[in-house]
Amino acid sequence: MLILSLQNVSKDYLSDGQRIPALSNLSLDVKRGEFVALVGRSGCGKSTLLNLAGAMDFPTAGQVLVDGVSTSSLEDAGLTRLRREKVGFIFQSFQLLHTLTVFENVELPLLLAGKPNAREAARERLAWVELDDLGHRYPHQLSGGQMQRVAIARALIHSPSILLADEPTGNLDTTTGNVILELLRRLTRQQNTATIMATHSVEAAALADMVVQLRDGKIEGITRR
Amino acid sequence: MPRLLLFYRLMVRPLLQEPVRAALTVFAVALGVAVVLAIDLAGAAATGSFRSSMEALAGDNDLEVTASGGVPEDVVGTLVSLPYSIRISPRMENYAVIVDSKKSLPLIGLDFVGEGESFAQLDSASGAAPRVQENPQGPLEHFGDNDSIWLGTSLGYNVGAHIQLLINDQVREYTVRGVYPDSNGAESAIVMDIAAAQHALARYGRVDRILLKVPNAPGLNEWQQRLRGALPAGVEIHPQGTGTNENRKMLAAFRWNLQLLSYVSLVVGAFLIYNTISVSVVRRRPEIGIVRALGASRSAILFAFVGEAGCFGLAGALVGLPLGHFMATGAVKLMSATVESLYVSSQPGAIELSFTSALLALAIGVGIAVASAYSPAREAALVSPVEAMGRGRREYDVNIEKGRDLWLALALGLAAVAASRAPAIRGKPLFGYLAAILLVVASASAIPAFVHAITMFSSKLLGKLFGVEAMLASRSLAGSLRRTSVLVSALSTAIAMMTAVGIMVGSFRETVAVWMEDRLPADLYLRPGSSAAADRHPTISPGLAETIEKLPGVAAVERLRAYEIFYQEMPATLVSVDLDVLRTEPNSEYFSGRPREQVLAELRDSDAVVVSEPFTYKHGVKTGDSITLSLGEKQVTFRIADVYYDYSSERGSVLMDRKTMLRYLPDPAPSNLAIYVAPEAKLETVRAEIEQATAGHRVLLFSNRDIRAEAIRIFDRTFAITYALEAVAVIVAVMGIAGALLALVIDRRRELGLLRFLGGATGQIRKLILVEAGLLGLLANVAGLALGFALSLVLIYVINKQSFGWTIRFHWPVEILVAALTMVYAATVLAGLYPAEVAVRLNSLEVVHEE
Ligand SMILES: Nc1ncnc2c1ncn2[C@@H]1O[C@H](COP(=O)(O)OP(=O)(O)OP(=O)(O)O)[C@@H](O)[C@H]1O
Ligand SMILES: [Mg+2]
Repeated sequence: MLILSLQNVSKDYLSDGQRIPALSNLSLDVKRGEFVALVGRSGCGKSTLLNLAGAMDFPTAGQVLVDGVSTSSLEDAGLTRLRREKVGFIFQSFQLLHTLTVFENVELPLLLAGKPNAREAARERLAWVELDDLGHRYPHQLSGGQMQRVAIARALIHSPSILLADEPTGNLDTTTGNVILELLRRLTRQQNTATIMATHSVEAAALADMVVQLRDGKIEGITRR
Repeated sequence: MPRLLLFYRLMVRPLLQEPVRAALTVFAVALGVAVVLAIDLAGAAATGSFRSSMEALAGDNDLEVTASGGVPEDVVGTLVSLPYSIRISPRMENYAVIVDSKKSLPLIGLDFVGEGESFAQLDSASGAAPRVQENPQGPLEHFGDNDSIWLGTSLGYNVGAHIQLLINDQVREYTVRGVYPDSNGAESAIVMDIAAAQHALARYGRVDRILLKVPNAPGLNEWQQRLRGALPAGVEIHPQGTGTNENRKMLAAFRWNLQLLSYVSLVVGAFLIYNTISVSVVRRRPEIGIVRALGASRSAILFAFVGEAGCFGLAGALVGLPLGHFMATGAVKLMSATVESLYVSSQPGAIELSFTSALLALAIGVGIAVASAYSPAREAALVSPVEAMGRGRREYDVNIEKGRDLWLALALGLAAVAASRAPAIRGKPLFGYLAAILLVVASASAIPAFVHAITMFSSKLLGKLFGVEAMLASRSLAGSLRRTSVLVSALSTAIAMMTAVGIMVGSFRETVAVWMEDRLPADLYLRPGSSAAADRHPTISPGLAETIEKLPGVAAVERLRAYEIFYQEMPATLVSVDLDVLRTEPNSEYFSGRPREQVLAELRDSDAVVVSEPFTYKHGVKTGDSITLSLGEKQVTFRIADVYYDYSSERGSVLMDRKTMLRYLPDPAPSNLAIYVAPEAKLETVRAEIEQATAGHRVLLFSNRDIRAEAIRIFDRTFAITYALEAVAVIVAVMGIAGALLALVIDRRRELGLLRFLGGATGQIRKLILVEAGLLGLLANVAGLALGFALSLVLIYVINKQSFGWTIRFHWPVEILVAALTMVYAATVLAGLYPAEVAVRLNSLEVVHEE
């Protein structure tokens, strides 16, 4: 089932009055249950693409359809709702709130959305990432790998249909990174999400169903397996 | 130079990138400096350069001869007949109101003949005394006329002009016979012949003062001794201006109290500078590490941050200078009105921003900034480079020892209790102030533990009540405990001061209101039309009281008479009451708790007096002691029969039977009349009758209600400036909160941006910041109220009692407090609006990926 569709998308940044093209006329479709890796040199536009996919930013030309709805057509409230229902984010530097416990971090999106039974959902997600016994710890009491697993649990708390991960293993050693990648792949299958991951790592790309090769804001090639 | 360049690049430029926050800090300092400066300038204008209006016109003399109720005229003769070459200037000194302009001016009666001779004899015609004999018109030929006056040129009247003057309760016509130059800062006055003045004032046979100019040898002391021997017992001789000095001392105390209050804003400002620099240090921790690794010394880091604070201080002081000057113009009016009603007649001087006060303001601004920045700056200097670059900023907030600070708070609190029990030092409640300071520090030490406990407890509760934003807000406050504590300390100190002063003034007001019930039992009060002051007691024409007494609806008229006297060289008020008009009151106004009749019966036909509470503290006397007063030409010893509560003036009062007073000071003219309306008569009818009967006189008739309202009005005016000072302190604190929230938003921008990724709506972000502001306000209100209550006890029972001698009964001014605290609370939440907008506008993409 098609969940994300980028149609002839271009994105220019304006910096000191200068146009910096980050993506140019790029099209890409992703289905639920697909694990996609975005690869390419630094500055090729991976993060930009993820931001557009998560409706955190908007294309200069073309359109981004999330579940059939163009992100550019939505007002702020609509965008917030879209993020609350359809999109989960994972970051290179984990981005946990250090004043909140693990449980509280994981619950946060549900609480922000005003949904009930947050604690139960959090417990379940933490079980998925095998951290069910660390719920009461604070982030600074965790290792990097554990923090990223908490972040994954948080990204999945509202059962999003799209999971966006920007270099999720970038701050981790290879072994830990591999554990995280395995986890992502497993959860993508289990939860039937469309997972799009920007990465520099060859191992990471090797695990994906589809590898999208970017170069200067364009798709250079797509490898499926 | 390269150092300065570095300072600019690393310290100043970042400030300029957050102009709003920098401006808030600068303005907070500016307000603090401005308030201190304003009170200093206004105080100087209203009291500092104090010379009573009379003294300004006294000219160049050495000694003065005075007596309570006036110096008998034959003393002049006695002095003249002494074989010394002394210039003797007897004078009448009073006040008159120019009817046209309603201007109240000193009225001086001079002995033209005598003075002229003296001037010629001693050839010393200089000084500030009006030199009427130099007038080219040579109008001295009119000196014998009772309607001749001489005026200062600045009043704008020409020779020959006719002018109406209100003296005591009568309006009289006068002709201007001459003018004298008074433009050079000398005070304007109305001058007339001494006999004309006696006539106008209906006081014959006595003069108010005799000024003496003695030859240089032997010394002044020797002259004083010699001349005293020649004078009657009750007549006193002092160096000229003794009264002025005493008044000056009293005014200095009044000023000193206001000055202390004005420093509150500065203290609050200090908390905020401390916070600003702490924020700056925390934020720049990694930067500090890098710079240290690149070769900056510890002292360079220390100087950088102290320098940053110094910049804030300097900028604040520069803004504060003109602001303070502006505020002073408002303050001086209030202050001089208070001085006039509570202390002594004087004219406020001009507000002068002298070089030294400007310098002082700059020094205070920079000094307070540097002092409060020292501790965070030192912390920055102690940062080890490796640590700073490696670790995040989170650690900074953790190393705060709540437990130890709580014990410290307890110890300080106990010390405060001990200090509040110590007596005054030379009339100044120094230990009382110490107790207040100790309490403030104790509260500041207890606040981290308090904030931690409350935020931890409240985060669950708030989360349930107000949603996830409230939970996040209280967590964030608890997470940066130190910063939160400093903010709460700053705001709560301001609130506490406001609360304490509010309670004190409210209690005082209530005490005065209750006291007036007893003190003002009559239905109507009558006083002369010319303006009265603490040291000015115009009289009512003799005969008027008798006329009123005979009116059909009048049951009784009580004649009250007040004199300005000196006891132990300190100004005091001597009052007489009519024992024949006895009335009963519900409450005793005496220390002994006895009813009024019983106490006053002791005064009848005996040399016994009752004294006011402030009098006992000023002179260290109590019931049963004896005091010796100089009355007229006699010295009389009186027994103190009791002490009465008195809140009308800070100067002590001595009260005696009218008959006793008339024995020593035979002038029968009363200063006030208290009129009792017959039970069957209607107040309004009687009032109309009295108005008719007094038609030829300028008198003011007040109903009981009017006079109380008037008293409360004066009371409120007296404390208006106090309220204003508290308000400024609170404004400073609220601005600090706004600045700090802004810093908080900027520091937590990553988190705030992240919330957007996690599905947070803009409304939620806004609410988060506003809840934080609200929580800060709530914490500060609770802590401030508690501290304020403790401070109010110190104010009421220690500081006020020791410096003014007033027993105030504690009273919660509930409405005012609730209103004030609600306003502060609302202001705090409003202070969060702008930071909340900044938070909403953050570009979440940029801030999350910044790192
Ligand atoms: N806010 C911005 N303003 C201006 N230019 C930007 C902005 N964000 C990104 N760019 C530019 O857009 C291009 C794509 O950036 P993007 O962050 O998408 O690259 P990336 O593939 O994620 O690189 P990396 O692997 O280093 O993370 C780059 O040339 C970058 O300089
Ligand atoms: Mg990137």
